[in-house]
Amino acid sequence: MTVSREELVGRLEADGQGAFVEWFDETDERMVINMGPVHPSTHGVLRLLLTLDGETVLECKPIIGYLHTGMEKECEDQTWRAAITIVTRMDYLAPFFNEQAYSLAVEKLLDIEVPPRGKYIRSLITEMNRLSSHLVAFGTQGLDMGAMSAMFYGFREREVILDFFEMVTGLRMNNNYFLPGGVWEDLPEDWERAARTIVEMMKRRVEEYEQLITENPIFLERTKGIGAITTEEALALGATGPILRATGYDWDLRRDMPYDAFEDGLSFSVPVAAEGDVYARYKVRIAEIRESTKLVEQLIDRMPSGDHKNMDPKITHPPRDELNRSMEAVIHHFKLSTQGYTVPPGETYAAVESPRGELGVYAISDGGSSPYRCHVRDPSFVNLQSLGPMARGGLVADLISTIASVDPVMGGVDR
Amino acid sequence: MPVTERVVGQQALDRVTAELGSLVGDARVNFDQIDVTCTPGNLVEVVAKLREAAGIEARFFTFLSAVDRTAFGGEERPDTERGTPLEVLVHLYSPDHATHINIHVPVDQADPRCPSITSVFGGALWAERECAEMFGIDFTDHPNLTNLYLPEDFEGNPLRKAFKLPTRMVKPWPGAKDPEEAAGGGRG
Repeated sequence: MTVSREELVGRLEADGQGAFVEWFDETDERMVINMGPVHPSTHGVLRLLLTLDGETVLECKPIIGYLHTGMEKECEDQTWRAAITIVTRMDYLAPFFNEQAYSLAVEKLLDIEVPPRGKYIRSLITEMNRLSSHLVAFGTQGLDMGAMSAMFYGFREREVILDFFEMVTGLRMNNNYFLPGGVWEDLPEDWERAARTIVEMMKRRVEEYEQLITENPIFLERTKGIGAITTEEALALGATGPILRATGYDWDLRRDMPYDAFEDGLSFSVPVAAEGDVYARYKVRIAEIRESTKLVEQLIDRMPSGDHKNMDPKITHPPRDELNRSMEAVIHHFKLSTQGYTVPPGETYAAVESPRGELGVYAISDGGSSPYRCHVRDPSFVNLQSLGPMARGGLVADLISTIASVDPVMGGVDR
Repeated sequence: MPVTERVVGQQALDRVTAELGSLVGDARVNFDQIDVTCTPGNLVEVVAKLREAAGIEARFFTFLSAVDRTAFGGEERPDTERGTPLEVLVHLYSPDHATHINIHVPVDQADPRCPSITSVFGGALWAERECAEMFGIDFTDHPNLTNLYLPEDFEGNPLRKAFKLPTRMVKPWPGAKDPEEAAGGGRG
């Protein structure tokens, strides 16, 4: 016998439990409850519809779209250069990766080269961004398991990295720093000291995190064997990044499809784990923090000199002092500022390895001054699909740790 | 696993056309990626073959979306090649060979239909739902083709070119452009 919704809600409200239950079947006690969209452990406006048998999750259905603002459509109304201000807002914990994927696609269409220094700056900044993003993943994973200190430590270090971004780009997030052809401004004078401070800090601090969490019995209890999926499942669902690597599949676009400074053969390894569970994902992320720290160090050491962006006057604004001397520079400046540059007709796909997996942009140009279509393959969107299979059969408490391990960014999911 | 044998460009195109034969129409190399065109009826077979075929093994489903090319070239450049007005776009990747394959599937503009590829790649479930609401394409035999992002009572398909964003529309200048046209000869 099914109790009507009104009846049940009335009963629960009388119990002081609130109206979270959508539906309840008294014969087998299955219950459909609504979790989110505003729930602290859902990492944003993620809503889950759970079918429960007591504490066991029979089905978990993510309901998304609360943050949908039609960014792909918005891109079509911007110039090629200005669309970066839109794409950078998608995955807001890793904004540089959005910009990088978009820039790589547009560079392919424009058929332009990025000078070595531009490539190295991009890779340096994105590896720093990987650190800051994984620190959030580490912090929220700990927080959701009741280890609040992990959140404090993760965010403390992230703050230093964001300060570095502010120093370089002027902004802490949504930086709008990369552009087709390079980066819009050279590194500031004192960058090397600041960057080395971060390297030294992360080397030391990552050991502390490991001492704090990695062998913690409560943490192990709540993450080992939880939310596991196999490599086949992950590949079929399109899951990438730490989720796929935690299943034992060795996949990293920085090595397989090198872009920017990775074309020069930087030395790093791709961490993998075998179990495919929440703990394996945590281990992979911690190992990636180590690898990225190494990469940042190499990039600082090998930072070439020269231009930081492609200086073709047709696609980049002329230096400020040239405007005083050259009429041509003024004309280029005016043209670029009022209508932007045009991109030859064509279409292509370019992808980067973001902290969450493969982040790709499929850009189409019809020869105009704005993208005809800009489709973004966001890893959060694709990875979130794997939450259902991961949660099935587990407990509600396990679901919380599973969400944290997927590390979805709703800005990227909803775009 | 790391790339075992890098197959891109002409070599990849040869392998793809040899495998698919008459299942696909136009096939070409596009920025080191392979572009093929196929009809909606052949899509599921093409995708399944690309996944299994030895030497290609495009086992990774990257994304599925659509493109509305009706405004291609814009009003100023009507000569630009328009391509198909509406097409579904499937991107597959081969992790072993680093081959990217774009499958273009032209669909009918007025009554767009395309079979679902979820039987081959489960990950296409959400992508097809997104594509369905954004472009109004009916993915037949999709298990649950409900709106993913948009509210149920939303009207229109936002990513179609016919769907204009009101805030972005160019509005005519409200006043008169010439002083003569204005009431009172421009002095009123």
